[in-house]
Amino acid sequence: MTDKMIKKQSFTGKKVEILGETYEPGMPAEKGQWRKKLRNRKAMLKYLQSGERYWYLDADQWCGSERRKSKA
Amino acid sequence: MSEIGDKTVDAATRTMLEKAAGEGIETVFDRAEKMKPCPIGSEGSCCRNCAMGPCRIPAPKKKPKDPEKAKKRMGLCGATAETIAARNFARMIASGCAAHSDHGRGVAEVFVAAAKGEIPGYSIQDEQKLYQVAMDFGVEIGERDIKDIAIDVGEKALAEFGRQEGELAFIKRAPLKRQEIWRKLNIVPRGIDREVVEIMHRTHMGVDQDYRNLMLQGSRAALADGWGGSMVATELQDILFGTPVPLVSKINLGVLKEEDVNLIVHGHEPLLSEMIAAVSQDPEMIQMAQSVGAKGITVAGMCCTANEILMRHGFPIAGNFLQQELAITTGAVDAMIVDVQCIMENLVNVAKCYHTKLITTSPKAKIDGATHVEFDEHDAINTAKRIVRTAIENFPNRTSKVLIPDERTDIVAGFSHETINYLLGGIFRASYRPLNDNIINGRIRGIGGVVGCNNARTTHDSSHLTVVKELLKNDVIVLTTGCNAMACGKAGLLTPEAASKYCGEGLASVCETVGIPPVLHMGSCVDNSRILMAATAVVKDGGLGDDLSDVPAAGCAPEWMSEKAISIGQYFVASGVFTVFGVTFPIMGSEGMKDLLFNEFEETLGGKWAFEKDPEKMAKLMIEHIDKKRKALGIDKARERVLYDMEMRQKLDAA
Ligand code: SF4
Repeated sequence: MTDKMIKKQSFTGKKVEILGETYEPGMPAEKGQWRKKLRNRKAMLKYLQSGERYWYLDADQWCGSERRKSKA
Repeated sequence: MSEIGDKTVDAATRTMLEKAAGEGIETVFDRAEKMKPCPIGSEGSCCRNCAMGPCRIPAPKKKPKDPEKAKKRMGLCGATAETIAARNFARMIASGCAAHSDHGRGVAEVFVAAAKGEIPGYSIQDEQKLYQVAMDFGVEIGERDIKDIAIDVGEKALAEFGRQEGELAFIKRAPLKRQEIWRKLNIVPRGIDREVVEIMHRTHMGVDQDYRNLMLQGSRAALADGWGGSMVATELQDILFGTPVPLVSKINLGVLKEEDVNLIVHGHEPLLSEMIAAVSQDPEMIQMAQSVGAKGITVAGMCCTANEILMRHGFPIAGNFLQQELAITTGAVDAMIVDVQCIMENLVNVAKCYHTKLITTSPKAKIDGATHVEFDEHDAINTAKRIVRTAIENFPNRTSKVLIPDERTDIVAGFSHETINYLLGGIFRASYRPLNDNIINGRIRGIGGVVGCNNARTTHDSSHLTVVKELLKNDVIVLTTGCNAMACGKAGLLTPEAASKYCGEGLASVCETVGIPPVLHMGSCVDNSRILMAATAVVKDGGLGDDLSDVPAAGCAPEWMSEKAISIGQYFVASGVFTVFGVTFPIMGSEGMKDLLFNEFEETLGGKWAFEKDPEKMAKLMIEHIDKKRKALGIDKARERVLYDMEMRQKLDAA
């Protein structure tokens, strides 16, 4: 799919061209099965440490509100 | 007699109330007019905890001038209005926690049996979620067989219920600061069942007679629900049946089809309804339905069972709590299958007036006069087949004129906290950051969790919709579950198109960019645990404080009625969330309890309750709280900047 560009007015009033919506029009017939993209144990565990890092990666390893706090 | 229009704002419900009235069917709406609530019980001033009572000590209509006189309000044993109200409230929490948690226990038992391969029909559907929960429980993953991991996870989950000491495992999911607050107050739940039992002990005649102390235990039991039993139910169900992902479906009584065999699954647990949903699509069953003259089979949900099969499979929803009797009144329901919770006993009387078979399935929840087909999880598929066959065989017995309202609305559901995380960032950079950034820059003012039941003492769905629409107008994104989610669905608020129609400019622009509805349906009432997780992710991502009580967020149950709602409300408050309830509030007879719940809790727990009947004022209270939190975070200025109009911006740029 080629990217759709749309013209909008910026906060300063200047006309700018920006990326338009990237989803397709209409109602999807299928479920958004994004979890099926995680195909094996390695990918699943890796996703837990990236996507679900809030709980499954040591807070010291990323910049959340709990970084460097002593463990509860 | 009030007009039908005063009873509901939902057109399908109005149509069915007219049909019911025409056919002489009495419903909860009629009984609510005939029987008024007891004024003493509703303010929490009635104690029946021993045989010297019941003692009723109603609050005086006018505040007594002499405070000593006020203190003299007491039961035979000397129990004060405070003690009586606190004991009643704590018992409501115990009952709510028990309901959610016993649901969780049932799932855990099936989970263990499924993991061991003892029950056909159930298997691991979400492997990744299994690893997630394994990490929470400290179960080794490595290269181990998935079956062994699942058995360990199931047994650890089951052990949470009977635990006697230590801390529930999911407590560690909460923000670190929140955990510290709980530990300081000594309210970290030790085990799920233990906290419920301890409430029953402490509220026995002559035990805990300090309302503050009683409410600390109430908080501990409520936390055992939200961060315990409910969370166990949600997580294990996700592993067994799949973590919800976005999908489209339809809602309202118009999803029933006159030409089909119609089954309604009603109640709360997905264990049987999952099987009924699957069996209904079996070609053998469809053929059988056709052999009796039907075109096919429609399975629709009601109450939280509906949310469960909607969230995971997209099955349509027939309606929320107050529509259960009316679904039968259509004359098109061939079987209504119920399990536990929120099932009105009067269904049996309404079903008798039509051909509908009311089928109870849980050994814990039978109804005199209903057909009982006991659900045996070891033979789940055959139980489901037996039930679907009963419905098919009943199709030719339709007696009354069928009237199915036209109303059916498109909805988008399936927003688990994991899915929101994914939608905001994609698989390689899943993150709550965009949400936090938009809260910080003011496009989104805050987060509203609007949940809970229907209540026949107030206009059906009206307060739900008023609160949600007010929040959206003020750029507050709404997370919803339960009957509120269904009210929103029927009113068209669960579609991305609702953003431009109902939201303030800031929230609309964010929803349009991401392509999400402004009201995110997160599931059933046990899935309020998903809201806790989403809010925790917001805290942990950073920039909005380091505790749930810092986040510009508030909760609300505008039309609550069940004891489960009180437990949910208390676990949100004990987690640091400002929570508003509508309709009625069961401690209003005690000045001390009012002060504790509406004020003091904010000092100790970080969250507090509010009670307000007017839905516009409920939303106002939530927005004021959100603004207070924005101010405390120093991001109130950011919001003001966003509201600058174009001309002001151009002037600023030119300066
Ligand atoms: S416990 Fe006390 S207040 Fe309650 S019924 Fe007995 S005597 Fe009355």
